Amino acid sequence: MKRKASFYLELLPGTLDMLVLKTLSRQPSHGYAIAQHIQRVSDDALKIGEGSLYPALQRLLLNGWVEAEWGTSETNRRARFYRITPAGRRQLSTEAKNFDFLIGAIARVMETT
Amino acid sequence: MKLWNRLRAWVLASRLERDLAEEIDAHRRMLEDEFLRQGLSPVAARLAAARRFGNRSASLERSREYWRVRWIDSIAQDLRFALRLIRRQPFLTLAAVVTIALGVGANTAVTSVLQTALLNPLGLRDADTVVVAGVSIEKLHFRNVETSAVEFREIAAMRDTFSAAASMEGRWWTWEDKGEAMRLVGRAVTPDFFRVFNERPALGRFFTADDRQSLVLSYALWHSRFGGDISAIGRSVMLDGKPYRIVGVAPEHFRVPANAEAWTPLDLSGPAYQRRGYNMQETVVARLKPGVSFAQATGRVNRYVAGLLGSNAGRDIGYEGYGYSIGLRSFGEYVAGDLRRPLLLVWIAALLVLLTGCANVAGLLLARSAGRKREIAIRFSLGASGLRVVRQLLVESAVLGALGGAAGILVAAVGIALAHNALTIPGGRLLALVALDGRLIAYALGVALITALLFGLAPAVQLLRHDQATGMARSRRRFQNLFVMAEVAAASMLLVVTVLLLRSLWAVEQVRPGFNPAHLTTAFLIKPQNDPGFLDRLAGTLRSSPGVESAAIAYPLPFTTGGLTSGFMIRNRGQKAGEPEWHGEAYLVSAGYLKTMGIRLLRGRDLADSDSSAAPTVCLIDDRLVQTFFPAQDPIGQEIWMYKGWARIVGVVSAVRGTALEGVARPVVYYSLAQLPVFPSAAVVVRSSVAAVPIIRQAVRQVNARAPIFDVQTMEERIEQSLGIRRVVVDLLGAFALITVLLSAIGLHSVVAQVVGERTPEIGIRMALGARPAQVLAQFLLQGLRAGIVGLVIGLAATAYAQKWLASLLYEIRPFDLATFCLASLGLLALLTFAVWWPARRASRIDPQVALRYE
Repeated sequence: MKRKASFYLELLPGTLDMLVLKTLSRQPSHGYAIAQHIQRVSDDALKIGEGSLYPALQRLLLNGWVEAEWGTSETNRRARFYRITPAGRRQLSTEAKNFDFLIGAIARVMETT
Repeated sequence: MKLWNRLRAWVLASRLERDLAEEIDAHRRMLEDEFLRQGLSPVAARLAAARRFGNRSASLERSREYWRVRWIDSIAQDLRFALRLIRRQPFLTLAAVVTIALGVGANTAVTSVLQTALLNPLGLRDADTVVVAGVSIEKLHFRNVETSAVEFREIAAMRDTFSAAASMEGRWWTWEDKGEAMRLVGRAVTPDFFRVFNERPALGRFFTADDRQSLVLSYALWHSRFGGDISAIGRSVMLDGKPYRIVGVAPEHFRVPANAEAWTPLDLSGPAYQRRGYNMQETVVARLKPGVSFAQATGRVNRYVAGLLGSNAGRDIGYEGYGYSIGLRSFGEYVAGDLRRPLLLVWIAALLVLLTGCANVAGLLLARSAGRKREIAIRFSLGASGLRVVRQLLVESAVLGALGGAAGILVAAVGIALAHNALTIPGGRLLALVALDGRLIAYALGVALITALLFGLAPAVQLLRHDQATGMARSRRRFQNLFVMAEVAAASMLLVVTVLLLRSLWAVEQVRPGFNPAHLTTAFLIKPQNDPGFLDRLAGTLRSSPGVESAAIAYPLPFTTGGLTSGFMIRNRGQKAGEPEWHGEAYLVSAGYLKTMGIRLLRGRDLADSDSSAAPTVCLIDDRLVQTFFPAQDPIGQEIWMYKGWARIVGVVSAVRGTALEGVARPVVYYSLAQLPVFPSAAVVVRSSVAAVPIIRQAVRQVNARAPIFDVQTMEERIEQSLGIRRVVVDLLGAFALITVLLSAIGLHSVVAQVVGERTPEIGIRMALGARPAQVLAQFLLQGLRAGIVGLVIGLAATAYAQKWLASLLYEIRPFDLATFCLASLGLLALLTFAVWWPARRASRIDPQVALRYE
């Protein structure tokens, strides 16, 4: 079941964490909404496998970058809402910077043929 | 943060798992909702969602990985295994836990006392560099006694050595409050007193040099009398009929001395305070200057005294050849006083109990590890590393240690409660401050765990060295013999010391006080103001009370603190060379004192009511004074000068012991109380056939209710108190000795029993080949006793070595007392023989047929 997205994420480790943090930095969301958001905003280019989303969320929880709380979704289902913490915001900005640097570096390599 | 979250996750794993599962299901249902909205049938939607989502349990498993802390998991596994083992062997567990609990409990209780008494005296926060100065005069048997004001001024002037110095004098006051008279205990102190201890007032201020009739309350008194009301500051109270203004409240932890309720300023400018050796009632406390060591300060004071004695001024005070010196003690030493050495002894004893217990449990575990050979071999063959198996064993002993430590805290709590009941011993007030705080509980658990590691190490090390379980038995036996030796050594040490102390106690108890303490009740009171005939009327009322045989008034009393010690002169007789110094105790007594106390009149007449303040001063002297100073002469009619000019000797009485049954007893001079009414307090002594305490209280209330009574006790109680510390030490050491002796016997027994068990087939063969039962018995007896005897010899040698240190605790018994050593050794040996004889006899009764079939 290899999809484009998961292949992509394996190539750049930590990218999924960054994407989730970025999504949560707008507003607290539950897992389904996070997956939906990333898929919609990336024009379906990034499909998050639930098999990797939840382990990623557990990792973020353990690192203290997000907090979780049970609530009710828009469709009236019980869902667990994740909220980014100040430490999470700091982590996001670090990762974003690293990512820019990496993309820049890759771009330069690709340009100089 | 990360580790914390991980630990939390590990602890909460089941809840997290539930959350995650629920969350994933919610996610799936949302997917289903989505597919339904796109027009799929419910069944198709569910299938699509499931396909889209992928493997649910794989997702769970991957998340779970994050919660795990590997090493904790495996230790938890060890723990579970250890708990299972412990449950499976309840007797072994109980034996180990009780042994550790006794050792740890005894140790913690004694350490808590030690901490309050020695390490952190009176709970003061900053008393490490506070010293107490005292005068010693060798020839007068004065050792670190209170000083006169002169020494205080000299110490205070040593600005290069002490940053602050103060003097305190004991005081008690009658506090009259709303018609009720209360006795207040405290100290009069010079202005720098609180600065010496680096204390700030809890409220108000401390004294300045200008304070005269000011009062600082203890925190406890402020709460009990004023309910902790801030407006107490500035209030005026009446002490001894004089107004004092409350200026401050001392901090809650400040109790110098332990029973102080209040402090007043001390004025040392009067004429009574200008001569060395006079009015020796000052306790001098001083704080060492930063950077000045205790030894430097002592050197400084010694040089000063040497210079003083060498100078003309020194010769004038007449102290040359008397062995006069000023000594410094740490504040802790001052507080604990005579308690110091007994406490250290008890502490060492408690440590020996702990070590014996440790050796015993180690022996038990070793014996058990022999039975686990098979289990451990299986573990090894399944690929467990040596370290892993050792860790398993250490976790097991740590669990035992933790259980023992917890039980030990209970034992310590009981021990401390008992210590609170021992308030009657001198310095007992100190024990009231002893408490089991968090630090001590941590100490107890720490000791228990260290012990656990120690005794767990023996089987573990042995295992590591013999992975393949070969040669294990021999190495184990070596360990076990070592443990037994250590146990027997500790037991014999404690036994010998206990017997020595017990015999000392008996010897002291044999000493006659010189009077008849039975049926005597005593109480102190403060004479009320403006009531000159009070004491006479009180004595009369007491004598006419039913059940009272006789009654008298005196100050002071034997076996109380605060005797009147003084030098004296005899008219027409100079001091001869080589004669002991002229120094004695004075008692001011009413008529009837001799009869009440049961002191025999040997010659002359008793003091009588006619010896009033108008009559010429007379006195009685005791036998001891006669023997020393009037060996060939009739003392009656001679004159002696001690307290009030020349007094004519009218009688000779039998000698009494002044303060304790042991120690130096000084000659005694008895004055008529009516002729020397100088002291504000007095004591009543009542000989009665009924309980006298209510009679005394009733009589005082009837005669003058404004006289506070305190320190009501029978004379037998007072004598008992002077023995108190001896008795407590003997009791504790006796208990400790009993524990170690039993432990060592049990240890030896179990080793021999195990050897017999293991060698049953071999013994069977030898019996079959014709060995006689007696031979087998003798062989095992000797083999078993060998380790015990070696331990005994080591223990006796160690005790003999420590004898010198013990000498000060003994009385009329030589430190190396052969009888005691023999008695203790034989007793211990007899018990050990019995412990070995039991399994040895079993060996001698082995039936060869049964033994061989057993194989």
